[in-house]
Amino acid sequence: MFELKNVEKRYPGVHVLKGVDFHINDGEIVGLVGENGAGKSTLMKIIYGAVQPDAGTVLIDGKPVHFRHPRDAMRAGIGMVYQEQSLIPNLTVMENIFLGFEAPFVRMGAINWRKMAKAARHQLGKVKLDIDPATITSRLTFAQRQLVELAKVLALEERVEGKLVILLDEPTSVLSRKEIDLLFDVVRELRRRASFIFVSHRLDEILTLSDRVYVLKDGVIVDVVNGKEARVESIQKKMVGRDINEEYYREDRQLDYRDDKILLELDRVVCKGRPHEISFKLHAGEVLALVGVEGAGREKILRSIFGMTRPEKGSIRVEGEPMRAFSVSNSVAHGVGYIPRERKIEGIAGGMNVYENMTLSQLKDYSTGGVLKLGAEHELARDWIRKLSIKVPSENADCGNLSGGNQQKVVLAKWRSSGSRIIMLDHPTRGLDIGAKEDVYDMVREMSEKGVGVILIADTLEEAIGLSHTIAVVKDGEIKQWFNCQPGSKPSPYDLIRYMV
Amino acid sequence: MRRHFPWMTLLAALLVVGITDIRFLLPENLVGLASDIVPLFIMAEGMTLVIYIGGIDLSSQSVANMATVLTTLELPVLGAGSGAVVALAGLAFGAASGTVTTRWKVPSFISTLAVGGIALSVAQFASGQQALHMDAEMRRHAFGWMLGRTAGVPHELLIALALGAIAWFVQTRMTAGRIFKAIGTAEPVAVASGVSVGRYKILAFALSGMFAAIAGVMFSVRLSGGSPTLAEGFLLPAIVAVLVGGTPLTGGVGGVLNTLIGALIVAVVRASMLYLNIPATGQQIFFGFVLITAIATTIDRSKMRVVK
Repeated sequence: MFELKNVEKRYPGVHVLKGVDFHINDGEIVGLVGENGAGKSTLMKIIYGAVQPDAGTVLIDGKPVHFRHPRDAMRAGIGMVYQEQSLIPNLTVMENIFLGFEAPFVRMGAINWRKMAKAARHQLGKVKLDIDPATITSRLTFAQRQLVELAKVLALEERVEGKLVILLDEPTSVLSRKEIDLLFDVVRELRRRASFIFVSHRLDEILTLSDRVYVLKDGVIVDVVNGKEARVESIQKKMVGRDINEEYYREDRQLDYRDDKILLELDRVVCKGRPHEISFKLHAGEVLALVGVEGAGREKILRSIFGMTRPEKGSIRVEGEPMRAFSVSNSVAHGVGYIPRERKIEGIAGGMNVYENMTLSQLKDYSTGGVLKLGAEHELARDWIRKLSIKVPSENADCGNLSGGNQQKVVLAKWRSSGSRIIMLDHPTRGLDIGAKEDVYDMVREMSEKGVGVILIADTLEEAIGLSHTIAVVKDGEIKQWFNCQPGSKPSPYDLIRYMV
Repeated sequence: MRRHFPWMTLLAALLVVGITDIRFLLPENLVGLASDIVPLFIMAEGMTLVIYIGGIDLSSQSVANMATVLTTLELPVLGAGSGAVVALAGLAFGAASGTVTTRWKVPSFISTLAVGGIALSVAQFASGQQALHMDAEMRRHAFGWMLGRTAGVPHELLIALALGAIAWFVQTRMTAGRIFKAIGTAEPVAVASGVSVGRYKILAFALSGMFAAIAGVMFSVRLSGGSPTLAEGFLLPAIVAVLVGGTPLTGGVGGVLNTLIGALIVAVVRASMLYLNIPATGQQIFFGFVLITAIATTIDRSKMRVVK
């Protein structure tokens, strides 16, 4: 049995885990759910040894253990099947399976490949994967790689005493229905050998597979439910902490957009590496959500509009004017703003202060002859700190120390203050707590009242449905279906999923 | 705390040497100490801009070498104008490194190494592998103003401080400096804000090349001649000056004011080695160790995922 007792974790500015208790019995399958930012990934990292808790204990069969490193956890029989796969693509399957544990196959400093292949075949058999262990990993399909990853973790079995605990992080996000069923069959069969912790956004899948489900919210386990009896809606409610209703997404504030004013028009645009043409119009005040699975090509569309990649064909018009040069500076000059998904990498410059971040996209307007107008910069920052109620000591505060929600506000202020009329939001609420999310929703409504056109890639389907006027379902780089999403006639997540997969 | 580390180091170094010999702290001695490192300081100021954006310029010393040769050769033809022409040549060499780095994505340590190799060859070719000498009269006529003193302060030192002030103004008060900072702290953010990052990177390298060339010009005037090996041994102390001053290799923090402190630390350390009778050839060994320590203690590891 594996146990966590009263585990605490803090990062600067955030209390990620607040006294979490967790246990898993031998052969059990346990689900772990929670919204983005609830602390799931930190909890998992503590379980597989990548992060050390600030307080609390980790116990295996009642004995306290201390993992300084994932390798320590592996020695104790805890393995992780990563969401972003951890296999090295240019190595063979068997090299990947035994990466770092080649010792049993080494004789006089050389690896006995035949012996390793035999052992690898044995591991692959556990997950019912019939492939040559000498295959180069990059030649496999995604689903096959996932199973190899699982086989790699199962190889721990022969190396450790006691049962395995295997973490599966969003294992189904890019699998087809059939592949998911196959994976689940394998997992069920492996219960004799291991217990599983299964993390997913797809609550229905969690419920079909798990014996028990832990619901995590804001760093606290709010409930543990029985997988056989629980219902999706009740878990959802516990994850968010209240009913998700119209009020949450500010649907009462959703106004009609101005269909006489087209801000952005894509005409038969073909993004690099995608065979399909994409056409749509974005109107003043409209919130257009692009919906699809991970890797469906939504981000590429945004990046083409923002000038980060040049489309292969087709034209993009901003307020009637065709874009000729494809560069970010050109798009910015045309009034396009982009709030990227990776806030800490592309959104906010930690180490620079609030006003430096806000004026970075508009330095021409805040300088004469290359000399900065520091006074005007300070004034702008103070102005927007007030407008968006950004919680900072002053405009001189380092943005790296702000909370996620306040960082997002600074990024938004950067674009709003420079007068961007088209704002693209890529997962704007990722990693934010509930209050900060609601702030973002408020800002989306406020922008659309002011006639700004918004293109949204939402964190969840519910968010996309709640916020948008129009939904385009994107699959394999193609717009499969349009939905009108005006209040009163909003589609259900189920309507969308049918076209997504 | 880390912010105050450089000047505290400087103060401590001054005190330590001052205790062994109180005459070391006499104003004339300190001014002499500072003016000794003028070329090094100017080179380091240029280098700071490149390190500030997270790059490195290994061509500085070779560009300075080339500058000593070209200044000496051009002096009879262009007079004082030779200094300006050579500075522009440095600008061009720096811009070349910058262009190779941004357009072809060659890491700056290798592009500047290559461009430095070219600059050194130009110096060797132009000089015929010999030490050249300036005509004393021409030197006095064209560059005499560099050599005088006002109120006991050498003009060289004033020029260096003026150049430092210009670099400081660019870094703190101009668009370019702000963008250098953004590139150093978070380049993807600068890109996603519509900044023409490539252009500004080239500018940083170009300025570094120009400062290195100016350092070479002043050095050749001081020594009244030029040779492809005149500025030998400048590179390591210049990088040390930037790093111990508090601009880490990962960029984004520190700046030209820090390098002023860093250069003074180098000057004091150098002088102290004279006091301790360490031969000049041994100094590089010491600076090598200081460099490693400075890099290891100042680098921001969160910005580097893998080191190869």
